Amino acid sequence: MISVKDLTYSYGKDKQALHGLNFTVEDGEIFGFLGPNGSGKSTTQKILTGILKGHGGVVSLFGKDIRHSDSQELCRKIGVLFEFPYLYANLSALDNLHYFSSFYPKEQLRDAEELLDKLEFKRDFLKKPVSSYSKGMRQRVSMARALISNPRLLFLDEPTSGLDPAGAVLFRRIIEEERQKGTTVFLTTHNMLDADLLCDRVAFLSDGKIAALDTPGNLKEQNSGHSIRIACLCQGRREERTIEAEELKNGISFAYDEVISIHSQEPTLEDIFIRYTGRRLS
Amino acid sequence: MWRGFIHFLKKDFRLMLSGKFFILAFASLILYSCYINFIYVNMDQEIYPVYLYDPQGRQAAVSKYMIPLDDREDFEKACADQYSVGIDLSSGKPELYMLASGIDTIDNYRIIWAEAVLNGTAEGHADVIGTNSKEMKSRREITAEFLFFELSAVGFLGLASMLFKEKQMGVIRVHGILPASRAMFILSKLFLFLLSDLIFAALLTVWNLGLWHGIAVLPAVSVQTGIVSLMMALTGFLCAVRLPDFKQFSLFYLVIAVFVTTPVFLAGQTGVSWGWIVYHPMYHLFAAMKGAYFSEPMPGLPYYAACFGAIILLFLLAHRAFIREMAKEG
Repeated sequence: MISVKDLTYSYGKDKQALHGLNFTVEDGEIFGFLGPNGSGKSTTQKILTGILKGHGGVVSLFGKDIRHSDSQELCRKIGVLFEFPYLYANLSALDNLHYFSSFYPKEQLRDAEELLDKLEFKRDFLKKPVSSYSKGMRQRVSMARALISNPRLLFLDEPTSGLDPAGAVLFRRIIEEERQKGTTVFLTTHNMLDADLLCDRVAFLSDGKIAALDTPGNLKEQNSGHSIRIACLCQGRREERTIEAEELKNGISFAYDEVISIHSQEPTLEDIFIRYTGRRLS
Repeated sequence: MWRGFIHFLKKDFRLMLSGKFFILAFASLILYSCYINFIYVNMDQEIYPVYLYDPQGRQAAVSKYMIPLDDREDFEKACADQYSVGIDLSSGKPELYMLASGIDTIDNYRIIWAEAVLNGTAEGHADVIGTNSKEMKSRREITAEFLFFELSAVGFLGLASMLFKEKQMGVIRVHGILPASRAMFILSKLFLFLLSDLIFAALLTVWNLGLWHGIAVLPAVSVQTGIVSLMMALTGFLCAVRLPDFKQFSLFYLVIAVFVTTPVFLAGQTGVSWGWIVYHPMYHLFAAMKGAYFSEPMPGLPYYAACFGAIILLFLLAHRAFIREMAKEG
């Protein structure tokens, strides 16, 4: 679906934003692109969506070099959710969706009201102007805008930002449903939980370079200390011990009366990110 | 492609409605028309007062436009307003006594009038040459000025404020990933503003010149309106895209108003004469607009070629700036 070879981009003489990125995204995959502010995430996404021209290297979408593809044809196949909910504040949710969807072929479109229902958008607000919506409601309309054209490739930039926990769960479920339909998802985020729960593979981007690229599971395994922390009660006292995972084969080797908790000590994606890049995500 | 154009048009029309653009345009139309009909056409310049100081009583026949004064001090005081003209006959030879107004043309008129009063040839009214009465001349003149002002100042603001709204809402970035032509985004705005300016021009002209006089000049006026409207709308578009916020835009607007349009109005409307004004592009647009209202011969091919070239150049610049804006950060 996406193939990127030696991608470079510079905003000026001394402003090299991307230093030779290489990655591929398979059909139906959810690919996470993680990095702190200024790492080159947005620049990469803008190049992939055809907004930013003048890149070096080769970027292919749907098997075609984007330099030689028809930009309108490409736009018809992709959906983009921006970091902020960009909508016409004077128009209602429905009017916004009708306007933005009017540029796509009719046979490609989903029903706007059905989509908003799925995103648990409050029906009372369907015809009220966007200026009266909360951030979460705007984010729902923006998501509907990205999905309304049934895109084959979906670019999501911080999809759960501005949502309450229930909204974030809903959005993750919808993204998963899209993948099951065969949609490829390119997810740009700071949110490690989203990346962990959703992505098949993640790439860590730092200073315009990919520091690591693998499945979240593999990254965790490779960076795990393979140790286990056990908290237990022994003669009425609480004790904590860290043992090697191998040692568990023969059971718990030290004396205890009751096990309180066992922690695998597996690193989080954020720990791994810091380990690879020496930087925090936010 | 044209389907997309219609969708842009509908959206822009709704933005214009919600921005109360049409109400403002209609209010301007009423305001201009009221000023023209109730104030401007009734305005007349007060005739230059001519004071006579003739202590020996040498002037036998005193014109009805002459005000004799016996006291030298009163005479000097009366002539101190830089408007009146004094005729001093105290030395036996008529000498003009006046304080300069600062504008040579006006001072020359004052001298000519005073001499005519002294010679007894002043009639107190001007002969009507051509087909325009004084009132019709005033109507054509002020309507041309108001229309030019509306197009160059207000029209410029109209499109820019609409685009600033879209910029603030961030929706310009969304258009970067829509399967729609970027040129159509600009063209739909131009089309709507051009159409509203043409309607405005037609109503202003017909209401203030009368139906038949108005219709007679409307084709030429519409051509000039179209040119100024497109140029100013594109300039407004370009500025709104390039300038980061409305504060900077307001400053730029002031610069346009003060340094670009004011000299044109001064040169075209007052006695101020500047040789360099012929190099000012807006002066030619203003002169063409006035010419259209007075049914003067149309400007030549170089004028239209320059206008066409300027519109194309502005469109290309606006298109380029728009594409850059779409790629900006949120």
